[in-house]
Amino acid sequence: MRIVDGEGWRDVDLDGLRVGVWMPAAEAVRIVPAVTARARSVKVFQDAPVWVAPVPVRIPTVARLHLRLTVRDTWTRRLLTPGRFGGRDVIVSRSYYRALQRSNCKLITWPVYAVVTQGVRTAEGIEHRVDVLITPDPVRKALAA
Amino acid sequence: MTYDFEAMLQTIKDKQWSLADIDWDAPGAETMTDELRAKMRPFMADLVWIEHVGARGFASLATKAPTPVVKEIYEYFHAEEQKHANAELALMKRWGMLDEDGQMPEPNINVKMAIKVLDTYGDNLPLTGLAALIPLLECALDGALVKFLLDEVSDPVCHEVFRHINSDEARHITVDFQVLELIGAGPLHKTLIESASLLHPQVVLGLIVVFVPLINKMRDNIVAMGLSEQKLYNAVKRYSSIGGRGEFTRRLPAYHVLRTQASMVINRSHPYHRFLADPLVKVTSFVPARLLGRPQAWVDEVTHEPIAS
Repeated sequence: MRIVDGEGWRDVDLDGLRVGVWMPAAEAVRIVPAVTARARSVKVFQDAPVWVAPVPVRIPTVARLHLRLTVRDTWTRRLLTPGRFGGRDVIVSRSYYRALQRSNCKLITWPVYAVVTQGVRTAEGIEHRVDVLITPDPVRKALAA
Repeated sequence: MTYDFEAMLQTIKDKQWSLADIDWDAPGAETMTDELRAKMRPFMADLVWIEHVGARGFASLATKAPTPVVKEIYEYFHAEEQKHANAELALMKRWGMLDEDGQMPEPNINVKMAIKVLDTYGDNLPLTGLAALIPLLECALDGALVKFLLDEVSDPVCHEVFRHINSDEARHITVDFQVLELIGAGPLHKTLIESASLLHPQVVLGLIVVFVPLINKMRDNIVAMGLSEQKLYNAVKRYSSIGGRGEFTRRLPAYHVLRTQASMVINRSHPYHRFLADPLVKVTSFVPARLLGRPQAWVDEVTHEPIAS
């Protein structure tokens, strides 16, 4: 498995590869649509969700409505709803939720507890195999060390 | 002295394990005889569903957690209960208890009703109610069901898996009761208001109609398989004694209600069975599953595969 940082993925040919995205949600929102368009399959490891709206607004109600209208599955909507300790920031994206619902994309909200040679292990006891893991630079450096 | 939830969170992170750590093809599966397989299959199916529904309970608790650290602990516990369900399903596969397609066994109508109630009301139940219910179920699981399983089955892989599960469950029970202490230590008026909010008629009715027959049916099934009633009694005694040891847990009405109900459940000669639980088991057996609609997508998340590509 190759580990690339949050920006380095653009230089990698993702065609036909299984890709994991383990980034803070605000950054995952920016890159997941482009990654799902290129990779064979994508697993998005989400630590905590953020509010996402299609237009630049600061009101979570708009983001809540966007989530309600764009994501059909009730359980997935629950997983994408920030909790009461979550931030109030709203990230702008029109394509994030659509990308998450593509058939080649899977949202994983189980806590990540280890990165192993072939993938990512999460606390529900499963090893998720990927060819490329996109993660922030400090995490990448810590793993390399 | 206040409990160090941060240190516990770190321990939980350090103690993680994976299905991939277990050699599922190791010798020992042959110890599962045809007779034992037939006897244990429904027990294992119930066990997987208890863990899976318990996981959903922790998901609701996480939304209600009093602090961000407790929330993170509950998120781990949600995942760990799912891991237990996954591992138990993997044991069922190892013992040839699954169909050819490896699908999870279909839950009975009472489990389906519990899923429906959790999907509909789970995230709105007050913290005290759920926080008091979950340790009771875990004491029963840990103290009675798992002990029964390990007495019956000699497969070393099963014992290895349950060493991990029991170690997780011990941490769950510790945290569950520490959270009850934390809630109980809060202002009394807040505790009473929260407890009163449990008294919404639809919540009380939902809990009675769904959980009373669910627990009774499992109780009777498992006792019929040979689980001694003494083990159930010990499990409930453990719930009472750990809760009683705390300084503030006894201030929570939900704890007392559940403790009383549990002591009625284990005593088969109590009128609770004749007048409430047994009739409800009978009535709910006539509920058509299609009335409940499709459950939310979390029910399909259980897997016996250690590796997902």
